Amino acid sequence: MEEILKVENLKKTFKLSRKQQKIERISQPVKKAVDGLSFTAYRGEIFGLLGPNGAGKTTTLRMLATLIKPDSGNAFIDGFSILDNKDEVCRRIGFLTSELKLEDFFTPAYLFDFFSDLYGVEKTVREERKRRLFAKFGIDRFAEVKLANLSTGMKQKVSLVISIVHDPDFIIFDEPTNGLDVITAKVVTDFLQELKDDGKTVILSTHIFSLVEKLCDRVGIIIDGKLIALDSLKNLTAEKNLEEVFFELYNANVAENL
Amino acid sequence: MKNILTIIRKEFARFFKDRIMIITILIPGLMIFLIYTVMGTVITDKASSDKNEKFSAYVINMPLNENLNAGFDALIEIKEYSDVDAAKADVTEGVLDLVIIFPENFDVVLSGQASLVPDVGIFYNSSKTQSQSGYFAVSGLLEGFKNPSFSVNAGGNADLIKERDFVGGILSNIMPMLMFALLASGCVAVAPESIAGEKERGTMATLLITPIKRWQLALGKIISLTCFALLSGFSSFLGVILSLPKLLGGAINGQTALYYSVGDYFMLLALIISVVLVIISVFSVLSTLSKSVKEAGSTIAPVMFLIILCGMFPMFLTNPAVGLYSIPLMGSGLAMSAIMTFSITPLAFVLSFISNLVVAGLFITLLSFMFKSEKIMFNK
Repeated sequence: MEEILKVENLKKTFKLSRKQQKIERISQPVKKAVDGLSFTAYRGEIFGLLGPNGAGKTTTLRMLATLIKPDSGNAFIDGFSILDNKDEVCRRIGFLTSELKLEDFFTPAYLFDFFSDLYGVEKTVREERKRRLFAKFGIDRFAEVKLANLSTGMKQKVSLVISIVHDPDFIIFDEPTNGLDVITAKVVTDFLQELKDDGKTVILSTHIFSLVEKLCDRVGIIIDGKLIALDSLKNLTAEKNLEEVFFELYNANVAENL
Repeated sequence: MKNILTIIRKEFARFFKDRIMIITILIPGLMIFLIYTVMGTVITDKASSDKNEKFSAYVINMPLNENLNAGFDALIEIKEYSDVDAAKADVTEGVLDLVIIFPENFDVVLSGQASLVPDVGIFYNSSKTQSQSGYFAVSGLLEGFKNPSFSVNAGGNADLIKERDFVGGILSNIMPMLMFALLASGCVAVAPESIAGEKERGTMATLLITPIKRWQLALGKIISLTCFALLSGFSSFLGVILSLPKLLGGAINGQTALYYSVGDYFMLLALIISVVLVIISVFSVLSTLSKSVKEAGSTIAPVMFLIILCGMFPMFLTNPAVGLYSIPLMGSGLAMSAIMTFSITPLAFVLSFISNLVVAGLFITLLSFMFKSEKIMFNK
């Protein structure tokens, strides 16, 4: 299997205000969000990052997308370092997260063109891709409607489409079905499967067990910034279902830290 | 370059398709009549406040009336001239304050025995405070002797100022401050929205994960914002020039724009662009440091006051040393004032222009570094 992502001992800390220290009951002014994370993802697989809120999933993904820098460690996407080759990394990845918003003053068509230009997509390729993706997600009927006037589900579809305007081989989805109705969520999960079928690599961050069980080839479980399990879904769920495995690991980890 | 153009196109689309944004930026220009009224009042008050010295005057046909002579002695220092045209020329040049021409039979007029209504001519120069004050003083004095038997300046055209100096004098005082205020208000209308607004709404982060370099993003934003602020500045400036004749009550003939050469306009344009670049780059840095549009507005307010203050320096500095022109913004205010009074030197222009570009360049570089800082870009 060909490696497309190699994460090497990533660490990230955040400073905490005194108020935040009280809330989190931590005496130290620094919180370890990601603590020595290492893993590898292979071309054509869906890799699930499973963990509770605040485990460090989103921080990890933000580092992979070059939005923030790790305190130490490195990661390589298609051989390019997130520290030293930011532009090359950005060209090769798509990133969908609720944190990244689109200007709701613009229409889906305008935004598709704008981001295509930033990624250097040829006009003819852009038009064909826009037509295909807009039709696939039902955006074509709303192509010239301002985002502000679209439903939450339609906005999420537009965000998804915009995140892949450059047809990247490596796509990061952070909680892609959060806040969506069951119909839109189904459209999104089906699309993730299609991406895999097309040979793309998907990193899927979620805390929804069923989503991982349905889609992922391999799973990494993160708790308190540490990777406490990493294996294929098949091996992890050989004896118990994923939820049971997760809580077993979670309880053991919490007990260890007490 | 392509990425910068993409950002500029997007900023233009955001701006020109938003009616509220356009109205916001054009409002300062519409307020111009109000500001002019206030400034006009201030200038008039200043002109009438200085009445301490005697006024120098060339008087023709001085009457013998004792009361009138006593009044004239207190006000006027008589000067001798060979002919009236030479005296009038000196009034124009500011050497002499007044030329007063009484009719030959004025003592008869004062005694109330004349059958005609003669005219007393008082020629003065309204661009010179002393001359204008002298006019008010003498016409006030004559008012005390006035009866229906004579009039003052019934023929009009007694102000012998060069019209060009008159316009230039007024513009040099008010134009820099007004221009700075209008340009700054144009900048404040667009900078917080474009940068702090994008941070607040989370749309900036979406741009930051694209392959665009941070300096390209910074430059694209600065260029677009400069264009919007210039648009606001130009519309306001046009308002200033076009409304000037109205403000002055028809004292000039709507030819203000023609007094300045193409070179003057070129220098003014270059200075305006450089001033906007400085203001926009400073406001952009402050907006980037802010977490929200509201916070950016609060941070920018005191800085805006300082910028307007820079435009007020020409009111207080009559003969500035050349070194002062190299102070960013303040030097531009002085240079604009000098252009208006036709006294700008190439060195003063170059110093003020270059100093602005250097400062703007430094702030744009700073902005590029700030765009790379996750602490600044993702502070919440």
